[in-house]
Amino acid sequence: MAIALVMFSGSPPQTSVLAASVITPGFAVAGVVLASIPVIIHLLNRRRFRTVKWAAMDFLLSALKKNRRRVKFEQWLLLATRCAVLALLGLALARPMACDQSGLAAGATRSGLHVLVIDNSYSMAYLANRPGAATHLEHAKNVAKRIVEQLSSGGESVAVITTGKPSAVLLQPTYDLQAAAQAIDRIEQSFSATDVTGALGLAWELGNQSPRQSVRRLEMITDGTRSAWELAERDRLMSIGRELAGIYQIRHVNLAVPDQWNAVVSDVAPAGSIIRVGFNSDLAAHVKSYGRSASAVLQWSMDNEPVTGNTMIEATPDTAPVIQSQARFRDGGAHVVSATFVAGDRLRVDDQRYRVVEVASAMKVLIVEGERGVGAMSSSGAFLELALAPPADAGRSASIGRRSDSYILPERVSDIELGNKVLSDYRAIVLAGVGQIGAGQADLLKRFVEDGGTLLVFMGEPVSSDSYNQVLLPRGLLPGPLTKRMSVAAEQRGFLFDFRPLGALHPVLKVFSGEQKTGLDTAQVFTYWQLELPADAKAERVLDYATTAATADPAITLHPLGGGRVVFISTTANAEWTSLPAKPAYVALVHELLSGSIVGGDEWMNRIVGQTLDLPPNLTFKAVPTLTGPSAQEVQLSQQPLADGRSGYRSSVLAKPGLYSLSTGAATIPIAVNCPADEADIRPAGDAAIRTALGGIEIDLISSDIPAVAEARVGGNDFGWIVMLAVLALVTAESMMAMRFGHHRKGGALR
Amino acid sequence: MPETTADYRQYLDPRTLARVSGLDLRARLVVEGLMTGMHRSPYQGASVEFAQHRPYVAGDDIRHVDWKVFGKTDKIYLKQYQEETNLHLILVVDASESMGFGSTTSGKHTWSKYDHATAIAASLAYMAIQQQDSVGLAIFDQTLARYFKPSNSPGQWKIIVNEMQVIPRWNKTGTGKVLDQLAEKLHHRSLIVIVSDFFDNLEDITKGLRHLRYKKHEIMAFQVLDPQEIEFPFEDVTLFKGMEDAGELLTEPRSLREGYLEQMKLFTDELKRLCRGMHIDFQRFNSGDTLDIALSQFLATRSASIK
Repeated sequence: MAIALVMFSGSPPQTSVLAASVITPGFAVAGVVLASIPVIIHLLNRRRFRTVKWAAMDFLLSALKKNRRRVKFEQWLLLATRCAVLALLGLALARPMACDQSGLAAGATRSGLHVLVIDNSYSMAYLANRPGAATHLEHAKNVAKRIVEQLSSGGESVAVITTGKPSAVLLQPTYDLQAAAQAIDRIEQSFSATDVTGALGLAWELGNQSPRQSVRRLEMITDGTRSAWELAERDRLMSIGRELAGIYQIRHVNLAVPDQWNAVVSDVAPAGSIIRVGFNSDLAAHVKSYGRSASAVLQWSMDNEPVTGNTMIEATPDTAPVIQSQARFRDGGAHVVSATFVAGDRLRVDDQRYRVVEVASAMKVLIVEGERGVGAMSSSGAFLELALAPPADAGRSASIGRRSDSYILPERVSDIELGNKVLSDYRAIVLAGVGQIGAGQADLLKRFVEDGGTLLVFMGEPVSSDSYNQVLLPRGLLPGPLTKRMSVAAEQRGFLFDFRPLGALHPVLKVFSGEQKTGLDTAQVFTYWQLELPADAKAERVLDYATTAATADPAITLHPLGGGRVVFISTTANAEWTSLPAKPAYVALVHELLSGSIVGGDEWMNRIVGQTLDLPPNLTFKAVPTLTGPSAQEVQLSQQPLADGRSGYRSSVLAKPGLYSLSTGAATIPIAVNCPADEADIRPAGDAAIRTALGGIEIDLISSDIPAVAEARVGGNDFGWIVMLAVLALVTAESMMAMRFGHHRKGGALR
Repeated sequence: MPETTADYRQYLDPRTLARVSGLDLRARLVVEGLMTGMHRSPYQGASVEFAQHRPYVAGDDIRHVDWKVFGKTDKIYLKQYQEETNLHLILVVDASESMGFGSTTSGKHTWSKYDHATAIAASLAYMAIQQQDSVGLAIFDQTLARYFKPSNSPGQWKIIVNEMQVIPRWNKTGTGKVLDQLAEKLHHRSLIVIVSDFFDNLEDITKGLRHLRYKKHEIMAFQVLDPQEIEFPFEDVTLFKGMEDAGELLTEPRSLREGYLEQMKLFTDELKRLCRGMHIDFQRFNSGDTLDIALSQFLATRSASIK
C-alpha cells in the first residue's frame, strides 16, 4: 500500500514529495475497521440499557440541564479519542513508512534490510594501493563497514554475501550492526572466480525471506571486471537482475581503477595425450595479458628445476599457446610442471600456473584373445601385440619374449584367463575376437572403463552378436547393436575404408593427414560386423566404410563411458578378416587408437580453487590418505559414497592455489591447484555493461568512493514508533479524560 | 457486654430487618438492640424533679407553697418543678411514591426508604410509649393521608405500627401543605419527627416547617436517602424512569454522576441550612446503614429537651 503526499512548505513554495506507504497494510485496514468498534459499542449501548425507577429525578434532570453541552462534548471527545487510538494502533502496527526529502523523516526510525554483496574473488587481490587499503578487497571491506556505520541501530538489518565461488551467505540478516562489521572484517581473500549469479541468487532468496521489510537495499561492491559481468550465462543473470529490481533498491560500488591490467598464465598442459619417459614431449602454456600487452620471459620449470630455452613473450588477450618442447622426464609417474610469467602486473596470484602430468614409463595393455592358434601369429591378438610393442631389433622375426623399446607392455591372455586378472593394473584392455563375455566380466570391464580405462573391442569369428548385444550393449561397452555380419565372396574385392588423407579426418587419425601411402585407403576388409549407431549415440565415427549408400557403416568408433573410452573396431585385429595388419599404417593406427583414446589420467591431480579433490577409486592406499596444502596445512579428506556403490575419498574445498601433497602410504603424489583462469580478465566492464548484464534495471552506479552519509540516508523511515507514542499519549489522555469526565468510578459520593 | 452488643447490632441492619415481616417486631429488635448496647438507661431523668423557687403572687395555687421556707424566712415562695406531663411525640412519615424507592436487598426482600422510615418511626414510638410518652402519627403524601392523635395508651403503639404497615398509595409529595395542616391540628407543644426524603419544593417545605416552629413545636427532620441516591453508582447506559411523574431520561450515567451529586448536595445543604436557621435538628440517613444512628439522635435530642 503506498500513498503519495505532496507537501508544500515555506515561502517561496517548496514542494517535496513524501512517499508514504505501510509495510503491513492488513494492520492498517484492521485499524480502520477497529476504529469503528467504539462507535458500534456506543450505538449498541444506546439500544441495550437497563431501566431504573428513580426517585431523585429532579436532581438528575437538573444535572443534565446544566451539563448537557459539556457532557455531549466530553462524550464525543472520548469517542473520537478511542476511535483514534484503535486506528492509530493499526497504523503503528502496519509500520507507516515515509521517506526522502522530507523533514519528517528526521524524526522517524529508519528501517529496512541491507544486503551487502562483497566480491572477494581473486581479482579483488589487485593491489590498487588506495589510502588505508592495499587491495580492492580491503577497500571493499572499508566501504561496507562505512555503509553499516551509517545504518540505524535497531531499525535496519544487514546481511553479508560473498561472491567468491562458491558464493555464500556469510551473515544472515541481523540487527546487530556490530556483528555485521565483525563479519565484514572476517571476509577472507578468496582465490576463486566470481560467482555473481550465485551471489545474486542468494540475495534474491534473502529478499524474499524478508517481505515485511519496508526498504530492501542491495549493495554490491565489486571490481566490476569483464570476467565477472560479461558472462556466458548472461540470460540467467539478466533474469535474476530483473527479479532483484522488483525486490531491492540496488546500488553497485565499482572499485575498478581505469588502467588496471593483468597478465596471467591461464593454462599449462601437455600438447599430446601421453607423455612418455625418455621422450621429449610438448607442453603448451597459454599466456594472456588483459588491459594492455605485457612483455616478459615465460619461465618453465619441471619438478622445481628450471628448464632452459625460455622465451620472451609479448602477451595479449589472444596470445597463441607457447610450446615447450624440451620437456623430457627420466622416470614415470606424476611430475610437476610450472610456467611463470612475471610481467609486473598488480595481480600476482595468477602469474604462475602448475600442472601435474602423468608420465608413462610402462603402459600395460591386456590383450584378451578369443582365438588361440598353433602358430605364433595365428592367435587373434598376435598382430596387435606385435604392433603395440615392436621388437627392438626390427630385422628379427617376431618371437615370444622378445625385447622392445616401446613404452607399452602388452600382455596376451585367453578369454578364459580374463577373470584372473586385476583389471586396474592395466591402462587399456583389448578384446580381440572374444566370443562371449559373461555378465560379471562385463561389469568389471564397465567399472574399469568408468574409472578411466580404455577398452578396444575387435571383432572376430567367435563373436556372438547376441551375447554382445545382450551383455556389452546395455553396459555401454558397445556404441550400438551388432546387426549383421557383412562378408564378401571369396573371389570378390573386400570392403574399403572411406579414408581421405586430404579430407577431414577424425583427430585420432590426424597423424595420417596428407599421407598418401598409409594403405588405409587400400586395405580390404572381407568381413566385418555391421553396427547400427543410434541417432542419439555419443559415439564418434573415427573411420567408415566406403559406400555408395546414403549411410555408411562405421568401421571404427570411439565413445566415452564414465571417465574412460571405448573403441569399437568392426573387423579383426589380425589378418583373418582384413588385410589391414599387413599395411604399413597398421602399427601407427593401433598406437593412435590407443593413445587417442587413453585418458591422460592426470585430470584428478589438477584442480581449480573452489573444487574438491576426488581420489580415483583405483588408487592404491597403504594408509589413510592425507592431503597437505601449500602452507603445510592439512586439508580434510573424507570418505564419500560413489555412484557405483563403492566409496572414495574427497577433500574439502581447495581454497588456496599452489602445490598440494597427497600421501597414500604407497606414494606421495603432487596435486596442482590453480586459480580459475576465467577470472583473469580484470578489464573494467563499465557501468553500462553492468546495468546491461543485470537486464537494464534501475541501478545506482557509483564509483569506489565511500558513499556519503546523505546518500545512505535515502531510504525508508519507519514512523511506527512515533505513531505508537501517539497511541500511548492518546491512551493516557483517554484515561485522564475518562476519569475527569466521570467515566471511571470514583470513590466520592454525596457528603 | 460487647459480644451482646455486637449480636444485637445485627438487628439494626436493614438487610436483617428486611427479612422481618412485622413492623412491631422490627421496632422491638431495633430498640432492644440499641438499649442493650448502652451503658446507662435512657429512661432515667423522666421523673418529677424540683426546678426553682419564686415569690408568691396573688392567684397562685397555694398547693405549691413551700411551707418549710415560709417557716424559716416568713416569706412565701412557691416551689417550681419540671413539667410533669409526658412528651408528645408526633411521627410524621412521608409515604409518597419517591419513598418507595429502594436498592438495598436481602434475598427477595427489598428495603425501601419507606421501610427505613417506618422502622425508625416504629422504634421511636416504641421507646416513647415505653416511657409513658404520648405518641401520634401522621402519614402523608400530597395530602395528610392519615393522622392519629398522640396517646400514651399501650394500644397506641399497636395502632401506629399497624397503620404504617398499610401499603401506601404512592402519590406525589406535598410536604409544605401537609406540615401546614399538621400545624393547625396540633394544639399542644410536641416533638415532631419528620421522616422523609424531602424530595419536594424547598420553599413549601420551609413554609411548613416555619409554621410548625411558630407553634413552638420542637422539630426533628430525618432525611432518608437510598444508597444509590447517595452514591449514584450506575455505569452503563440507563433509562431512568422518574417517580411521581418526573419523566424519563436515557443517559450514560457516568457522565452525569458528578453533576447529579452536586445537585443533590446543593439541595441537602440548603435543607440543612434552612433547618439550622429554624433550630431544627436535621439528620440524613442512609437506608443502607443501621438504624441505631437515628435512635441515638432521637434520644440525645429528647434528653436535651428534658433538661
